[in-house]
Parts: sequence; C-alpha cells; structure tokens
Amino acid sequence: MSFPIQVIRLSKSFGKTMAVENVSFNVEKGKIFGLLGPNGAGKTTTIRMINDIMPPDEGEILINGEKASPKTQKWIGYMPEERGLYKKMRVGEQLLYLAQLKGLKVANAREKIRYWLKRFSAYDWHSKFVGELSKGMSQKIQFIATIVHDPDIYIFDEPFSGLDPINSELLKEIIIELREKGKTILFSTHRMEQVEQMCDDICLFNNGKVVLTGNLRQLKKEFGKNTVLIEFEGDPGFLDELTDVRINNRSTNFAEIRILNGLNHQQILRKALEKTEIHKFQLVEPSLNEIFISTVGEDNIKQNELLK
Amino acid sequence: MNWRQIFLVLKREYITRVRSKGFIWATILVPVGFAAFIGIMVFIAIWESDVAFEVAIKDETGNVAESLRAMNERRYLDYSHLAVDSLRTMVQRELVTGYIVITEDNITEGRNPELIYSGSGGMEFIMSVESDFRQVIREERLRRADVSEEIQQIYDARISLDTRRLTREGEEQDDDTIFLSFVGMILGIIIFIAIFSYGGYITRGVIEEKTNRIIEVIASSVKPIELLTGKMAGVGALAITQLSIWILAFLGLSSIAGPLAMSFMEPGQLAGDMAVAETELPAIFNLPTLETSLIIYFILFFILGYLLYSSLFAAIGSAADSDTDTQQLMMPVTIPIMIAYFIMFHTWRSPDSVLSVVSSMIPFFSPILMITRIAITDVPFWQISLSVILMILTFAGTMWLSSKIYKVGILSYGSTVGYKDLLKWIRQ
Repeated sequence: MSFPIQVIRLSKSFGKTMAVENVSFNVEKGKIFGLLGPNGAGKTTTIRMINDIMPPDEGEILINGEKASPKTQKWIGYMPEERGLYKKMRVGEQLLYLAQLKGLKVANAREKIRYWLKRFSAYDWHSKFVGELSKGMSQKIQFIATIVHDPDIYIFDEPFSGLDPINSELLKEIIIELREKGKTILFSTHRMEQVEQMCDDICLFNNGKVVLTGNLRQLKKEFGKNTVLIEFEGDPGFLDELTDVRINNRSTNFAEIRILNGLNHQQILRKALEKTEIHKFQLVEPSLNEIFISTVGEDNIKQNELLK
Repeated sequence: MNWRQIFLVLKREYITRVRSKGFIWATILVPVGFAAFIGIMVFIAIWESDVAFEVAIKDETGNVAESLRAMNERRYLDYSHLAVDSLRTMVQRELVTGYIVITEDNITEGRNPELIYSGSGGMEFIMSVESDFRQVIREERLRRADVSEEIQQIYDARISLDTRRLTREGEEQDDDTIFLSFVGMILGIIIFIAIFSYGGYITRGVIEEKTNRIIEVIASSVKPIELLTGKMAGVGALAITQLSIWILAFLGLSSIAGPLAMSFMEPGQLAGDMAVAETELPAIFNLPTLETSLIIYFILFFILGYLLYSSLFAAIGSAADSDTDTQQLMMPVTIPIMIAYFIMFHTWRSPDSVLSVVSSMIPFFSPILMITRIAITDVPFWQISLSVILMILTFAGTMWLSSKIYKVGILSYGSTVGYKDLLKWIRQ
C-alpha cells in the first residue's frame, strides 16, 4: 500500500491562533480522501501546505515520498476554494500558460487542452476572453486548468461551493473517473452529507486538530446502527418528548434521530404511533454529520459554522 | 529560483500588456502629440509676428514718434495731429489697439508714459511696448543732453555672456548649458512619471491577480519570488519597449522638424525669423545633437529606479484588496520620489551644489536627480558609479523586503492591512 500524500505531525500558527495543530494523516493511492470539518477548522491551511504554497511551522509533508517542494507541486492538480482566471486572457492561451507553469511542453499542452475542451464541448470558446464567459463556462475552464497536466494527485478545496448543479455533477463524474484511472484524490468540504457517497477515507477536522480519521465504511460500522430515519404525517410534538436522543435534520414530516444511551428504537416507534401515521421507519448507520457531532461533542462545535 | 517559470511569467505579463489597446494607443499617441506640439511651435514661430497690434502715438515733443516708427513702423502710427478724444474713439472702435500721449514730462521729468488700450495683446505686447519706450526715451534724453557719440554708444551697448566649455583634453566646445538644463529637467520629469506609471501597472497587476482569485492557482505552480521577479521583468521589458519607440520617434521627428520648419518660412522672413527661431526653439531643433551616453545613462537610471520602486509597488499591491486600499500604504513609497522631484527644480539650476550632489547619491533620489545632473554638468565618474552601486544594493534590500511582504500578502484577504501587519509579515 503506498501513500502519495503523507502528512506528519503538521503544525501552523498565524500569530497567536493555532490554525493547524499536530495533524497527521495518510492518503492512500487510488482512493478518494475527504478532509471534513466546519469552516475555519484548518482544512485550507493544511491543503496549502500540502501544495507547498505555505511552509509549515513544524512537521513534514511527503508527496510520493519527497518533501513538498516546487518539484512536487507539478505532481499535483490543485483547485483552490478561491478560484479564478485571468479575465483578459483567451481561454486557449490561459490554459496553455497554466499547463506550461506545471511543466508541460507546448505541443503536449496544446494537445491535452484540445482534448479536454472537446470533451467538455467547450472547444468553441478556445479564442474567447475568459471575461466573456458565463460563470458556469469559466468553472469548466477551471476544471480543465486543474487537470490538464495529467498529474497523479488531485486536490480540490471545497470543490462544490459556488458550482451550479450541472457542473457539480460534472465534477463528481470527473473525480470518480479519475479514481477509476488509479489517481489519488483529496478534497475538503464542510458539507458532509454531500460527500458521503464519494469518499473512501475521511479525516475529520475541528479547531485545527484531527478528531477522527480512517475508512468511512469502517467508521460507520463502528458507530453501529443506532440512528432512526422516520417519516410521518401528523403532530411532530412527540419528538420533543423523547429523551436521550439527538435529533438531526428535523422537518415537518421527517426526522433523523440518533439514539443515545441504549434507548430502544421500538419505544420511539410506539411514541410516534400514538400521535402520527408512520410512512417510513428505518434503522441505519449514523450520517457523517452525526458522527462528527458525537465525536467532538455538541459543545465543542462553533455554532452556525456547521453544515446545514 | 527557476528561470523557466520566471520566463513564462515574464512572457505572459509582456504579451498580454503589449497587445492591450491602452498600450498601443499610448505608444502611438505620445509621438503624435509630440509631432503636433512641434507643429504648433513652428506655426507660432512663423505666424506670431503677423498679428499686428497698432499703437497710435500722439507726440507733443516732436522726435519720439519718428524714432518709434523707425523701430517698428507696423506697430507705431503717428497720430500727433489728432486730438486725444479722437484717439479714444479710435480705440473704442478698435481701429487701433491703444494710444500713448508723449509729453515733455515723460522725457524731462521721467514720468512713465501711459498706454490706454483695449486690453488685448497680453503681456508680451505690453512688455515689448515698454522696452521700446524705455529705449526711445533714453535715446531722446541722451540726444538732448548733447552727449558725445561715444557715450551714446556706451549706453547702447548690451552686454550678455557668451560661454564656451574647455574640456580636459583642452578642446573648446560650444556650451549649451541652458539648453541642456532643460533636457536634464525633462529627463528627470520623464523618469518621475515613468516610475509612477509603470509602478502603477505592477500594483494593479498584483491586485488584479488577487481580486480575480487566480493567485492561488498560480501560487500552486510558481514560487512567489519567481512570480514577483517575472512580473517586474515583464513590465520592465514593456517599459523599455515603449520608451525605445518613443525615443526613436522623438529623434526621428526632431531631425525632420528643423528642415521642415525652414521650408515653410518665406525667404523674406527667413533672415529675421531665423534669429527668433534659433533662440526660442533650440530644445526642439537641436535635440539630435544629444550625446548617446546621455541616452544610455537615461535608460540605465530608469531601469534601476524602476526596479527599486516597482518592487515596493508590488508589495503594496499584495497587501491591498483593491485600488482604494493602496492609498494609505502608498505614502512611504511616494514621499521619497516626490521629494526627489522637488529637489530636481533646485538641481536643475545648480547641479553642482552640495544639496544636488548629496541627494543625487541617495538611492531613492538618484534615478531622477543623477540623470538631471548628468545631462547638465560634468558629473565625476566616481559619483555616477557610487550612485549606481548604492542603488543596486538598495534594490537588493527592497526586493528582499518586498518578497517577504508579497509572499504573505497575496494569500491574505479581507482585513485592511496596516504597517504593523507588514512588519509582522517581514519578521515571519
């Protein structure tokens, strides 16, 4: 088993704030690795250090076994959270410029640009100025800019934020396709439910520290089937009468209930039946969101910064 | 430092800018404007004498009107036979520009003659009438005093100073200090403007990369110092391109301007007006005689000054989120260049004063002051070399400082940055 990205006891502070504190994790080759956590948890700082944009205060980053450097930068395709392009450059020359910066030769770069533009049916935009493109169009160009030099490692920071639904789907397809080709992918997000289907491994961040890391299926299994999904019609008041539970994702006719302290799920069902008509009642593994909350404890989560 | 990356950045900066409409227009319009300026100057030289301002003279002394007409018969008209009222009417009807009544008082008592006029003609007209009267009245007084011819000649003599330079090799040369002083001042002003405008390109370019949010994509491929170097070199190459085009256009235009102006003048005018043209328009007609070494020094000092300041301009851009943010941070950079600019107006007059010599050695002032001095006076070679060395050393310092600020600045958004933050970034 090889690890294209190894993060070893990494720390970084800005003035007095500890942005990243003693963080370690390994990203396995050919897997999709999710860096999860609320905004301000230190994900972007970690990613910047992996990309050699910022030097760590302490600790080490190994990319394919080598210390992060301008050389290792070329092995990575990086799409930052804050993304953009030069508005006054044409699509084709801009992609060529970015590909050349990643070390590609002109002829090779042109060929790849042509391939990707055609693939995204964007070839007609080749000579347009980026400033003339719509938001969705320039997002596609941004994808191409990230992957055009065909690296082995891909890093996406909050890739789905600001994307329109079509491009969101497109990006998911790209990521899954890349994994099928054996590439290694790391992405970060604060929207956990969005990535549950995609990640192989995860690393949960909170306040600059890693709170949980491992294989997603494994982790879920460890947490056990102790979450109830319930769909009903009628008075939702019974939910408030339940004790020793945590209710996530509550709406007028739906709730996700995490059972704490061994309360029997049949009791919930009975209470619900008294007041409402049940349409669905299902016992499942907890959502990532729930795993995060129960790991760090409700009190340790900065309010408003989480999910939704 | 990876030179391939620097070169790629340089190429992008240069090509995208050189192709921009703004650049192309500015490059064309400046020589066109310059040509228009020369055209207008030539036009003025040829035509200004044609506008006649007529002054009616009522001479009660008998001799003055005649001497005035001998001096300039198109301007002074003898209306001694008319009454003052008629002269007033003539001025009101604009038949003449004005009138002057000369009485015995003006000659014997030294009372000032009085010009009653419509108000047109301006300062130049008034001053030339004044000097004409000064001369005519003096002559009349001398004549009445019955002084000898010899003394009259003494009064007529107008001494000015002819200057020739003696070089170290013992050659005497025509001295054009006055003309060169203007050249020195103009070169200083050009460097002043150039540093500001190309420096501004850098600041805006850096801010643009931040507001476009492309900076992080770039930073994942290029080291900040490489990006900074490439950017400065790219805009520097752009500056050299533009200035070279302008210098060539300028030399070309001025070499054809003289003959062209000559061909416009009528043969009759030539004798009189050539004298005027030569004294009033040397800066335009004589420029091709500028020494090549001066142009080389100009380019050298421009490049050094540009490097020195543009590194700082880049740092400012990186610390700001928008153009408006830069105002406050700009201050420490604009102050030295402004000071140099003001000292230049002293240096231009006395290029070898202690103030001029000392301040031309201060690296932040050198680009403007040293070139002004080199143009005007014979600056010892050690002073030039010392100032160049000092500028290079200072540049190393500002570059070091700026790269530190730049490295942090490009990735920080949102908060308004003050000097305290900058210090913190430098220490990091």
